[in-house]
Amino acid sequence: MEFTTTGALNEDGIHVDMDRLKKGEVNLGTSIMAVTFKDGVILGADSRTTTGAYIANRVTDKLTRVHDTIWCCRSGSAADTQAVADIVQYQLGLFAMRNGKPPTTQTAAAIFQEICYSNKDRLSAGLIIAGWDGRHGGQVYSIPLGGSLHKQSYAIGGSGSTYIYGYCDAHWKEGMEEQDAVDFVKGALREAIKWDGSSGGVIRMVVLTKDGADRHLYLPDEDYKVRH
Amino acid sequence: MAMFSQNPVLNGPNYSFAEVPKDSVDGLREHRFNPYTDNGGSTLAIAGADFAIVAGDTRLTAGYSINTRYAPKIFKIGGSTSSQDDANILLSVVGFAADGEALKERLDAVCKMYRYRHGKAMSISACAKRLSTILYQKRFFPYYVHAILGGIDEDGTGAVYSYDPVGSYEREQCRAGGAAASLIMPFLDNQVNFKNQYIPGSGVGHELQERERVPLPRNDVEVLVKDAFDSAVERHIEVGDGLQMMIITKDGIEERLLPLKRD
Amino acid sequence: MPGFDFSNYNRNAALHARGVPLPKATSTGTTIVGCIYDGGVVIAADTRATSGPIVADKNCEKLHYISPQIWCAGAGTAADTEFTTALISSQLELHSLSTGRKPRVVTCMTLLKQHLFRYQGHIGAYLVVAGVDPTGTHLFTVHAHGSTDKLPYVTMGSGSLAAMSVFESKWKPNCTKEEAMSLCSQAIQAGIFNDLGSGSNVDLAVITADKTTLHRGFVKPNERSQKLKNYKFKRGTTAVLNEKIITKDDIGKYVSVHELEATEERMDIDP
Repeated sequence: MEFTTTGALNEDGIHVDMDRLKKGEVNLGTSIMAVTFKDGVILGADSRTTTGAYIANRVTDKLTRVHDTIWCCRSGSAADTQAVADIVQYQLGLFAMRNGKPPTTQTAAAIFQEICYSNKDRLSAGLIIAGWDGRHGGQVYSIPLGGSLHKQSYAIGGSGSTYIYGYCDAHWKEGMEEQDAVDFVKGALREAIKWDGSSGGVIRMVVLTKDGADRHLYLPDEDYKVRH
Repeated sequence: MAMFSQNPVLNGPNYSFAEVPKDSVDGLREHRFNPYTDNGGSTLAIAGADFAIVAGDTRLTAGYSINTRYAPKIFKIGGSTSSQDDANILLSVVGFAADGEALKERLDAVCKMYRYRHGKAMSISACAKRLSTILYQKRFFPYYVHAILGGIDEDGTGAVYSYDPVGSYEREQCRAGGAAASLIMPFLDNQVNFKNQYIPGSGVGHELQERERVPLPRNDVEVLVKDAFDSAVERHIEVGDGLQMMIITKDGIEERLLPLKRD
Repeated sequence: MPGFDFSNYNRNAALHARGVPLPKATSTGTTIVGCIYDGGVVIAADTRATSGPIVADKNCEKLHYISPQIWCAGAGTAADTEFTTALISSQLELHSLSTGRKPRVVTCMTLLKQHLFRYQGHIGAYLVVAGVDPTGTHLFTVHAHGSTDKLPYVTMGSGSLAAMSVFESKWKPNCTKEEAMSLCSQAIQAGIFNDLGSGSNVDLAVITADKTTLHRGFVKPNERSQKLKNYKFKRGTTAVLNEKIITKDDIGKYVSVHELEATEERMDIDP
């Protein structure tokens, strides 16, 4: 039964507006990206989590494993994206056990899309799925707010991404070497962190190749220059 | 959610103003700047036979934050200089601190002008009436304060006048104002005016005699004020830090500052 | 039917739409913290519960038992933290019994987040989950909407900013048990003195691999001062219109009467 068209009720309440982030909800006002390169893919993200003006976590890990060499970057509501990633991780684990072989990135992205699209009215989740598999090598998929699925050679997302469309467009090259791709991701995220108030902290990266996952960490203390 | 949204830093509303639905039934919403803030705190004034005591805590709050632990709410009014050495009136203001400050400045200026024109200090009854008109002048954009005036009247008796924000006033024996008024006032009714107290064994049923009202000596009043505030601090989050007490007699004004709990 | 009863939802929604405010829940406008140290984890909380600007309870318990080696500090709506932790504690106990293994902190955290996510933030429980299990020492925060964080030191509640300022200026890696206890205590006191929603005492719990120690009233920096006057009334001061005396022996005929020893926590009354 409907009483109002928008979220009129609140405060301990019963019915909250769905067209915005729920009040007091933890937000990943974020800069995330994923790129393909010669041998696989690289995911990158800042580490800031906010509730309003308060930084609830300054060393967040927004790069989440859903299978050995399939990972995702999360932006939007922390609760929603964690819940979705947990479900997909479970589904892919089950898939691998049933079929005796790891799932492809495309399969993972399709499961993500199914969840995001069918619950589009209840979720605020912007996801980038990136992975390496034996059949297709490195792939990047983007799932923005409505639950559509886009295969891309690289993808950027989150509030900070608006500042780096130009940078990425100018510096992107197809089939880069690993080090060049790392520098591209790092350079772009540095700009995003610099200009976007909702992004900040450390830069985290995951490099996905046939050899598995390799984590990178760069701290602002050393101007994001040294890998930890 | 309840707690988190109450914290203004975490983009929630302030609990001090009653929450009402933010959308109207037709879906239109009016946006307006709110010129008032509730700065918490509490005040209290008691009149004696030949003195009056005006007291208030010194905490100034906004939402769940303490802006300062020492912001006086009791002011000397109507001295001939800014030092207020020869002031003969006490004013306490609680509610919106900026309006309180403005009201104090207005009344003080009026009293100083009176002194300049007439060559004598304003009487408490005249000042009380004048304060009422100042408040009513802003009937449609009120000073968001609960003011209490204290002094000695023409007969040498302690006098307390209390006001609502738009100038309705009354002379009383005692009055509590501000955040913890509802906590302190019943205590004062019982301990100053001896309400609900009867003389044991003085009769049966309706024959029972009420305890006779006598003005309290100064020391007893100071004790009551301290106990009232200590208790208010226990149960009201916006009251605390310091207790400022001003005692006015025929010999002038004394000021006492006592510590209160700071949590 | 298990679960919540929504039969009054429509009535309340209609009333609210007409401008009737919702009833105020007792919220533990709170400071809660947690800190990992070498060998265990410490969690702490203040003890003030508020209802709007009024102090509802001066010495409430915000440290909740989950299992012997897992404890929770709760902020938000008092009833929600109480019932949610009790529910998950029960589920974890049954799970532990059926698997024959000790409960794990991640299991507790996952149960909590899935429960809270299902209710989309309407269950206003903000929790710090801490404990030691066979896989090691763990510390998490769980928000009402179901998001979780894993950090070496955490704060939550309205006093979280005050408390976090202590951690961000004084915390260092590899601290001892005593350092962690002191740090948590200082963080809670920052909340007690600088956040109006928090007050009274510091409760603190230390969890190690072999035992949990709960320090109820670890610091009491806000004892009530002695009243200056005795407010005892003379017998007969209050008007009485009718009087009937029933002795203890008489009342014993209708209900069972037990003599009890005075307990530790006593009501705040005049001598």
